[in-house]
Amino acid sequence: MRVSNSVRLLGVILVAVAAFLVAFQPVRLEGATPVFQPLRLHINLGLDLQGGSHIVLQAQPTPRTPVTPDAVDGVVRVIRNRVDQLGVSEPVITRQGRDRILVELPGIQNPQRAIELIGKTALLEFVDTGTRSLPQGAEWVGPDTVVLPDKTRLALPKKVILTGADLSDAQVTFDQFGRPEVGFTFRSSAAKTFEDYTTKNVGKYLTIVLDNRVISSPVINSPIPGGKGVIEGGFTLDSARDLAVLLRAGALPLPVKVVENRTVGPLLGRDSIDRSLRAGYIAVVLVGLFMLLYYRFPGFLADLALGVYTLILFALLTLLGATLTLPGIAGFILSLGVAVDANVIIFEKVKEELRAHKTLRAAVSAGWSRAIVTIFDSNTTTLIGAAVLLWLGTGPVRGFAVTLILGILTSIFTAIVVTRVLVDLALETRLAGWIQRIGALGGRRVPAPAAAPAGPGSAGE
Amino acid sequence: MARSFDLIGRRRWWYALSLAVILPGLISLYVHHVRDHHALNWGVDFTGGNALELRITQPFTVGDIRQVMDRFGLGDAIIQKSGETELFIRTRPLTQAQTNAIIEAVRTRFPSTVMLREDTVGPEIGAELRNVAILGVAIGLVLQVIFISIRFRSVRFAIAADIALLHDLLVVIGAFALTQREVNSSFLAVLLTVAGYSINDTIVIFDRIRENLSQRTREPFEHLVNRSVLEALVRSINTAMTAVLAIGAVYVFGGETIRDVAFGLVVSIITGGYSSIFNASPILVDWHNWAERRKAAQAGMPVGRPARSAELPGEAARVAGDGERTATPVPPAAVPTAPRAGGPRRRRGGRRRR
Repeated sequence: MRVSNSVRLLGVILVAVAAFLVAFQPVRLEGATPVFQPLRLHINLGLDLQGGSHIVLQAQPTPRTPVTPDAVDGVVRVIRNRVDQLGVSEPVITRQGRDRILVELPGIQNPQRAIELIGKTALLEFVDTGTRSLPQGAEWVGPDTVVLPDKTRLALPKKVILTGADLSDAQVTFDQFGRPEVGFTFRSSAAKTFEDYTTKNVGKYLTIVLDNRVISSPVINSPIPGGKGVIEGGFTLDSARDLAVLLRAGALPLPVKVVENRTVGPLLGRDSIDRSLRAGYIAVVLVGLFMLLYYRFPGFLADLALGVYTLILFALLTLLGATLTLPGIAGFILSLGVAVDANVIIFEKVKEELRAHKTLRAAVSAGWSRAIVTIFDSNTTTLIGAAVLLWLGTGPVRGFAVTLILGILTSIFTAIVVTRVLVDLALETRLAGWIQRIGALGGRRVPAPAAAPAGPGSAGE
Repeated sequence: MARSFDLIGRRRWWYALSLAVILPGLISLYVHHVRDHHALNWGVDFTGGNALELRITQPFTVGDIRQVMDRFGLGDAIIQKSGETELFIRTRPLTQAQTNAIIEAVRTRFPSTVMLREDTVGPEIGAELRNVAILGVAIGLVLQVIFISIRFRSVRFAIAADIALLHDLLVVIGAFALTQREVNSSFLAVLLTVAGYSINDTIVIFDRIRENLSQRTREPFEHLVNRSVLEALVRSINTAMTAVLAIGAVYVFGGETIRDVAFGLVVSIITGGYSSIFNASPILVDWHNWAERRKAAQAGMPVGRPARSAELPGEAARVAGDGERTATPVPPAAVPTAPRAGGPRRRRGGRRRR
């Protein structure tokens, strides 16, 4: 309180400028030289705003492999390999709990294909089917039962010679007719096994099976040395490319099931940003107008404080690396209401003090100290609710809680400190009379709500 | 000063109004429960399932889409058209391959089809979310009650605030039942915001009552509450107004996805503002009057049971004159049991006739 008002004003301005620099980053340092760049909010956007996929996979135990932390970590590794091959920027792939894997793919253009690719076990097997050729699409439903595409069952044990784990590389190649196929290379030890096997089994069928389903069942024409081969299976260019990706990244040690998938297409993401930003602007303008029309000059000061509030909140969200989601924007706008509420509470108390025939300075001082108690008590309950949301919620709900909590804390700061500095400063100048008028607002002793200027209120529909 | 508007005195009307708002919602919950086997329009977040949102910028009907879905054996899919171009399809949980096949099939028929959004939620996730929602609301409420009890040194205030909150929750849930808006994971956010906002608003009024009580005027409690509510009224209305302005903007301009949340928030702000003035504060008065009557009844009994007047700060100074409109303060010992117990009841009868 002993610090002079101009020093306090300087402090507020410094905070506001710093917040602006952090939130919009108009200047970037390139080495030591500052570079100006176009103004833009640097807040992380959630998947619901920029488009993308939020996928939760659950590992399924098989008779052979139980769900162990090691196996799930293996799944995470393989999925990361696959996602890297898709060329998604900044994907998130983490283990969640005991048996779940969270995959977030921001800004992905073709989410459906990606999810199909990620969820595939992709266990490739080279199976000795002796003298039998199996049609494409035949499936092993047990260790020695095959169901053909025409639904007939066949007893045929699955004698696995080599698996996808023995491959060192896989690429899309083309046959002499320009049809896509997948060329593969075995590791050196497997190459030897492959050569030995093909030497001994010329004329028999080597069936290629992916996730128990037959891709092709070629006959061995001659021994195959060098550990190279191709898979033909009537591929399209896309499906050949997908198979090559899966083979390079390896098979999942455990099969997974998609238990949750929230995908927002790029189009809707763009749409949501535009609409919610517009809603945000309109909300800010309406709230600002209301304060200005109802409280006049002090309302204008509160609007300035509200501007500082918005800057600080954006800066905090940027600094903490918080993610702005669609409900997060709703949380921001709700906290805007809280910020205004703090100012309204303060002004109403100052008004009462003035009516109790206190001097202007005494009224401002008393009004503020009384309001602080109210603001603290009332906002703590909201904070408790938001904290529970933050603790229990996931994804978008969390985003809502984060912006609400930061918003409430910031709003308390701006109402109590920033508005106060502005009002105190005005008290030293001729503008003091303008603040005095707050005492005459809204009628005499008995506050009559109906007499409140309902101008902006009627636009609330 | 002249007698101001007797808001608290008309509390029976406000209680009745609250009932009139809550009852249709409850009836709607019951009717939907009996008729459709789900009281609220639970979204896939809670039930598990698949929700697909497509945009088709050429003329199409729900019937066209149903034909496509029938081919996949999904005749029970819920298909909705929103606006001219948006299409919602809700089914049981599907694999990605199935979803892709459906989108492909729709696209073959309508080449302009674009996938906007796709949500697949396994039933296990839905159940987890439901448990988290119930747990979250419960924990939040308990913590808030503890906080109020400490800050106001009175369980009475906490419980009155809670009854007002229960009122608000019922109003919001009723509104979702009546409009059959989808209840999804954001609904959890709405519920906890109602809780936060409703209690926040109630506390601002209670804070004013606390302030006035600490001035130790010899004013009857009912008058004091009435005065406090009126004093806090402008703030309550202004705050609710700005909040509704802000969230209303989101409702109108924010687009389909966020509209349900915005709707819930608008309803909660309005009901939260109403209940703190018209429910929470009158309940304090009724409770106080009831306690006074009981205390008066016990005054005739042997000593040794101290009057529990410390319940409200500053109350001890005014015990005597409370609850009655008679201006003359009477020392408690001198009050005969019967008239005091009967007093408020007589008044009640009188009011009903006006």
